[in-house]
Amino acid sequence: MKLTVEQMLVSKGITPKEGHLEILEARWKEMSELRGDLDGIKIDDADIALKNIAGGDHHE
Amino acid sequence: MSNLHLKSVEELAPLLESKQLSPVELTKEILEFAHQSQEAINSYIDFYDDEAIKAAEKAEAEIANGDYKGMYHGIPLALKDNLYFKDKVTTMASKIHKDFTSDADATVVEKLREAGVIFTGKLSMHEYAWGITNNNPHYGPVRNPWDTTKMPGGSSGGSGAAVAAGASVASLGTDTAGSIRIPSSACGIVGLKPTHGRVSKFGCFPLAWTLDHIGPMTKTVKDAAAMLEIISGFDHRDPTCVDRPIDQYVNYLTGDVKDLVIGVNEDYFFKQVDHDVENAVRKAIDLLVSQGAKVEVVKIPSLQYAEWAELVTSLSEASAIHHSNLKTRPEDFGNDIRLLFELGELPSAVDYLQAQQVRRQLKAEFAEAFKKVDVLIAPTLPVVANDIGDDTVDLNGEKVDLINNIIRFTGPSNLTGLPALTVPCGFKGKLPIGLQIIGPAFKEGKVLNVGYAVEQCNLMEGKKPEILLANR
Repeated sequence: MKLTVEQMLVSKGITPKEGHLEILEARWKEMSELRGDLDGIKIDDADIALKNIAGGDHHE
Repeated sequence: MSNLHLKSVEELAPLLESKQLSPVELTKEILEFAHQSQEAINSYIDFYDDEAIKAAEKAEAEIANGDYKGMYHGIPLALKDNLYFKDKVTTMASKIHKDFTSDADATVVEKLREAGVIFTGKLSMHEYAWGITNNNPHYGPVRNPWDTTKMPGGSSGGSGAAVAAGASVASLGTDTAGSIRIPSSACGIVGLKPTHGRVSKFGCFPLAWTLDHIGPMTKTVKDAAAMLEIISGFDHRDPTCVDRPIDQYVNYLTGDVKDLVIGVNEDYFFKQVDHDVENAVRKAIDLLVSQGAKVEVVKIPSLQYAEWAELVTSLSEASAIHHSNLKTRPEDFGNDIRLLFELGELPSAVDYLQAQQVRRQLKAEFAEAFKKVDVLIAPTLPVVANDIGDDTVDLNGEKVDLINNIIRFTGPSNLTGLPALTVPCGFKGKLPIGLQIIGPAFKEGKVLNVGYAVEQCNLMEGKKPEILLANR
């Protein structure tokens, strides 16, 4: 089942402002396009970035 | 002494130390100019006139007694209004927090106070620091001193405008996707986002915990280096703060770039850039090369996912912070940030964690690049400041989305936590252009020295915003 943007927000108790839904859908689509396929990124790396904060593991 | 508001900290400090200038005289002039420029640039949210004069009198007595504390002693500053002052209101330039009072100073405020700084007030910002225009629905737009029809950039737009105009000698900003560097570039000043963990964030209202930084916004690189020395250091009250010695950053400022290896990433940092901005940055690089620096082209493939990872991380973290108010009183947010908070409710936990994997890989690739080069140089912004209220920007004749484009070159350093400095390097028309220097973790000294070398090239030709002259 695929939830719409409106359903996702309402399920969290959030009422989107009138006129925002269309913009949100467009922005969400843009973000998905930016994400692409993450080709080349080790997204399932066993060494997952648990210590991921910027100051947590600086390479020096 | 006249036109004190035009001077940098490095120019004022010797006058104060030698008692040729009184902190009271200086503070009065800065306050007078700050009030006078308010109608034109709207950089302040609150003025601390009486307290500032009292603090200036105290500084004057200390200096007279031979207790000079250093370069910032007796210097009047105003700070961004998301940094807490004990028993004072900190608004975050919002309606919801308009009466919020903290029972403690932010660590950076405490450190500046100990260094003898005089606080003249609090500066405007984009509401909750969640935007780059400073077109604030509750406190009005901040205006760019170089052209008051243009935005100052944000979110630290009050700091950028105030420092550029002379309404504050220097300031602090906060930076989650570029909010120190964007207004610094747009307003023609120096802005440094230090390494994540270098400066404590205790007492700063968060925008996105893992991306937030605090750093100097100043007229000169030396002012920024001296301020960083003051505000750096471990603080157990900030769990992301890193315990390591503080450098003497001013000592790095030799301007010597002989044998410096400059990394240039053509695939990301020089794509879709305004031609005049690109030319100004390349001209500055050429000048450094003429002084003995070398250029190496570097590849950082994961940068292609940086925008997505920055967006997912910042949107998710910001919406987590404001989730409750978004449910119960959404109408109290400005329209633009309400939209962003709604958008931040959409990414899944999987999206967020995958963004962190991108982040980790990006950090590793930058570290690899820094085995070959000393610093990376890039434009700070792909464009110059645009009209207040316009959500699009002209990029070489094409209208493009303002927000997505303006954070493209600054966001990666928030993901990696690496230090990044912007210094002015020229103009497009009458609007300043910024050049960005990114360095390895905790190598702020090296980054600042490259910025100092650019500054010595005098690419701004000593020009000042017209408001400095028009209002006097």
